[in-house]
Amino acid sequence: MLNEVVPASWRKALLWLTGGLCGLALLFWPARPLRSDSFVFYFPNSKRVIPLEVIENTKYLPFLQVLNLVGTLNSLSEKRNNIKVGFGKDHIELHADDARVRLDKKVILLAAPVRVSNGKWMVPSDFVTVVLPKLTDQDVEYQVGTNRVFLGNVKPGSFTVRLEPESNGARLTFQFTDKVTLRTESSNGQWVMFLGDHPVQPLEQSFHFQNPYVAAVRFDDQDGLPKLLITPSSPGLNFYPLLTEGDKVLRAEVSKPAPPPPQTPATSAPALTTAGAPPAPAQTPAAAQAGAAAPPSPPLPVVALDAGHGGDDTGAKSRDGVLEKNLVATLVGRVRQSLLATAKFRVVLTRTGDANTTFEQRAVAANTAGAAYFLTFHAGDLGGASPRVAVYTFQSPAQETATLAGETRLVFVPWSQIQEAYLDQSRQLARTLQQDFAVIAGVTADLPTSAPVRTLRSVNAPAVAIEVGSLSPDDDATSLSDTAFQVQFAAVVAEALSALQGGGG
Amino acid sequence: MSRRAKLLTVALLLVLAGALIYLRSLTRRTFFEPPPHSDESAKTQLNEAALQSGAGPNETAVLYFPSLNTRVLVAEKRPIKWAQAGADRVRQVLLALAEGPSQHLGHPLAASTNVRAVFLTLEGTAYVDLSNDLLGGIYPGIESESLAVYSIVNSITANVPAVKKVKIVIEGQEVDTLEGHADLTDAIVPDASLVQSSP
Repeated sequence: MLNEVVPASWRKALLWLTGGLCGLALLFWPARPLRSDSFVFYFPNSKRVIPLEVIENTKYLPFLQVLNLVGTLNSLSEKRNNIKVGFGKDHIELHADDARVRLDKKVILLAAPVRVSNGKWMVPSDFVTVVLPKLTDQDVEYQVGTNRVFLGNVKPGSFTVRLEPESNGARLTFQFTDKVTLRTESSNGQWVMFLGDHPVQPLEQSFHFQNPYVAAVRFDDQDGLPKLLITPSSPGLNFYPLLTEGDKVLRAEVSKPAPPPPQTPATSAPALTTAGAPPAPAQTPAAAQAGAAAPPSPPLPVVALDAGHGGDDTGAKSRDGVLEKNLVATLVGRVRQSLLATAKFRVVLTRTGDANTTFEQRAVAANTAGAAYFLTFHAGDLGGASPRVAVYTFQSPAQETATLAGETRLVFVPWSQIQEAYLDQSRQLARTLQQDFAVIAGVTADLPTSAPVRTLRSVNAPAVAIEVGSLSPDDDATSLSDTAFQVQFAAVVAEALSALQGGGG
Repeated sequence: MSRRAKLLTVALLLVLAGALIYLRSLTRRTFFEPPPHSDESAKTQLNEAALQSGAGPNETAVLYFPSLNTRVLVAEKRPIKWAQAGADRVRQVLLALAEGPSQHLGHPLAASTNVRAVFLTLEGTAYVDLSNDLLGGIYPGIESESLAVYSIVNSITANVPAVKKVKIVIEGQEVDTLEGHADLTDAIVPDASLVQSSP
């Protein structure tokens, strides 16, 4: 009939008009006052994350999921407007859009009415304090306004924050009541510090600062992972976190980055300079101006130490059962101590503890700290006598000997090619280290070479891989596990870096 | 005993005998035959086809094996009848590497390594899909893994001129590294500097 009344050309226009109107209606339709978030239930040995909904500014939890956390349902009878649940020896009855809960014929009033959202019965968050303690023998601890509940004998830690100005930046000090671990990431312009598994109940959820370096600090555990998110006041700042004093104090320094290293011309031969030459001897005029304006005592350069492997990835294994991941973690610990003892460096570790750490996380930890040097430690099959030390710079598997450095000045350097801009400085670092390793009595120090070491690929600093050997099923690792060797090895690394930094041994 | 009963008994005995023979062969297949990834069974039908397709004249293949002590790749020559197709030649090179060196050198591929697939692109990249048995032949380490990788890459590119670079995948999956050290994220170009120069 429509076909008879409306001409063909109009029908098409009518169709477009209807589609356009529907699109506009969708575009301007008022958003539902609802957003998704989550609620974390901490138990003595585990935690569960339950999604919550905010309906008309009230937090709601899924009723049945909450009950399942503390026990099992005996019976369930659901109708359109009400639900009856047998839970242990109790009976609970809820009615949609009604704030009253019937618990064994007693009536308890909630702060907001019960809702049914997407077929789920939702109860306001005060259900956790008003009703839940009557259903379980466990202690229930919930601080109103937060999104976390502690069930059973859980003692959450807490922390205080202090921000102090520094000569070229700012220092954040977090004092924790319990030990924490530290893993750092960078995400959406923020620095994220994961604090391990122990539950944390912060005194304040977020802290805001009027500071040219740090704008805000926020605690978050919505995904079940306690962490601190630090928002810098401006982009391009360096971030250097350090866990000290029995892993209860976390100091994070935020500072202006050091002047950029000079670009190496493509045609230049590998810079064979003296061991005392600093890695970044020249400055651009702009950098020189910035340097002139900078305070007299800039922060110490950061050395990123990377203990290879970790977690499920054990790496190589010796005949007497020494695992590469443990051996290199010990070596890194000793190198860290030696470097800190020089008082010329700050140290950032890319892996703390026996954690699974990806190659990208390692590079991110070093790059966000603005590392001046990156050393990754490995142990493997080197053949021949033990102990033996080999130092490698990065060799791009996709290119022969040509590098990006100076060839093409890229405005945006691909993440996977960052290291190629530092090859000359990395070679100089490798040579210095090798020369110093060669003086250790009884140690065979191979000439530095290049290899496609995956860890070095995305490091934005002069970087080398140091491999000790041989750690293989054919040999015992006695000589590598020897404390005297490890201490000497660490001292040599510290000496070599000090020499490069210009201060001598 | 009636004639019918005799016939039934004979038939029953025959069925029983057949069942026993089948059971015996089933037991042998299940418990006594070598597993599918043993050295002998590693050469898949495709590999055998590649080896048999070598109908050309006797030629020489140059294979590079790692020498950990001297940190170089050492060349070894082998007589070979090259297959026609480039992918089959790559497979031939890999199988020859898996057979191992004649001198006291490293094994870049374990003998049981299965060459699951080989593809060549027009741009000269060989995609080599190897079974994870290959890891059994290499001890983890920066040097050992790097030499193993370049042993494969240099051997393929030296013998199959159409191949300019090699992308190694394991069990059909792209992997970051061989055993936590050598970078396998990109297709790898050969490194001539690793080859031991002739005396």
